[in-house]
Amino acid sequence: MACATSPDRFGGEEGGVAVLDEPRAYPVPPQARTGPLWDALREVMDPEIPISLVDLGLIYDVRQDGGSVEVDLTFTATACPCMAFIHYDIQDRLQREPGVDEVKVIETWTPAWTKSRISPEGRAALKTFGVSM
Amino acid sequence: MARYTEEELKEKVHNGFIVEYPDEMTEGYRKALIVQLMVQADTELVSAPAYFGAAKDAPSTNTMVSATAIIQDELAHANIAYRLLEDLGLDKEQLVYGRQPHEFKHPYGFDHPLENWAELVVANGLYDRAGITLLGDVFKNTSYGPLKRALVKVDQEETFHLRHGEMWMKRLANAGGEAREQIQRAVDWMFPMAVEWFGLPDDMKRHSGQLDYKLKGMTNDELRQTWMQSTVPLCEGLGIDVPAHWSEDEQKYVLDFAFPCQYDEDEKRWLFGEGQISWEAVFERWKRRGPANKQFIEAIQDGRGFRAQLAAA
Repeated sequence: MACATSPDRFGGEEGGVAVLDEPRAYPVPPQARTGPLWDALREVMDPEIPISLVDLGLIYDVRQDGGSVEVDLTFTATACPCMAFIHYDIQDRLQREPGVDEVKVIETWTPAWTKSRISPEGRAALKTFGVSM
Repeated sequence: MARYTEEELKEKVHNGFIVEYPDEMTEGYRKALIVQLMVQADTELVSAPAYFGAAKDAPSTNTMVSATAIIQDELAHANIAYRLLEDLGLDKEQLVYGRQPHEFKHPYGFDHPLENWAELVVANGLYDRAGITLLGDVFKNTSYGPLKRALVKVDQEETFHLRHGEMWMKRLANAGGEAREQIQRAVDWMFPMAVEWFGLPDDMKRHSGQLDYKLKGMTNDELRQTWMQSTVPLCEGLGIDVPAHWSEDEQKYVLDFAFPCQYDEDEKRWLFGEGQISWEAVFERWKRRGPANKQFIEAIQDGRGFRAQLAAA
């Protein structure tokens, strides 16, 4: 199996989506967040602020094996009021992707989320809502 | 001596003038603004005990955290509106702790206990949407600067509450069985409640001055339509029946029941079969307040004792 950081891993049709259990660069670097599953996740907005979970840097990895998808998800805070909400939104969106039958969301606390994980697009969006970073 | 006459101020605000300070207001403007803010503050405040009763029915710890976060938002929104009332010379302490339960100005719908998770999420989906409809219009149109700025945060958070309602209504409706029936039962009593919330029809409207002073932009009927434009398709999309439909002839949503009509508080059921009643009868019902009015206000005012203990410690 390809090394997590090798170009093959992100160059194929699967984009930045690894096969389940594959060793991986972690969290997946921004430039490697490509492919249909990452694009689908870009449509999932944080329930409180309309910026995507990917732009917020909450998605650490996405792995697919056949119809099964695993998503590693972190939160901005351990007492995030939207935990269940975000789980459901991810599952609902990914299950609409062709070939995806089952979505497992795995909560991940290490490495911890920091605001440095927010993408430039996310920063620009936050600025328009009056949130400074 | 006031800076402007009533007529001058009405003209100015319609030309884009934003009122910032009490000394720019006329007596009429100040009174109309106080009424509006009082309803806003009381509604946010009383939603908290109503929501809390059902939040305890949350299906998991994480979902209860979501529900209590919403309650916390509502209390913060109430605080914002009471704080704005302080600028107009009112006393927040007195407003929250010094009034009798029947003196609060929230809608009658919030005087009803929410008894399970389905009722809570339908309240988020229907009542919070009514809140956004009303406050969204105020945000867009209000001539009062401090309120407009405060509503940026409030409206953002209300959107979260509405999304919570929609997401859960979908989940429970799609789950079928008892979950779906609970959603239908909640919509059955809350849909007409929200329709009534928007008040008198335009052709009967008493003069409140809110439109003249540009404290809001849309009439009651326009707001009611705006609310139905999103609520009816949402429910229909989930296969949940609502007593309203889109009329091609009239190019608007029309109600399938005599409006306003009688409500049985004990049964939590609208008596559509008994036909239309007068608005006077509705006002009387609102004035009597609903079944949980006393309990909810007392739950809020209990906080005074706790605060006194903290102060003494």
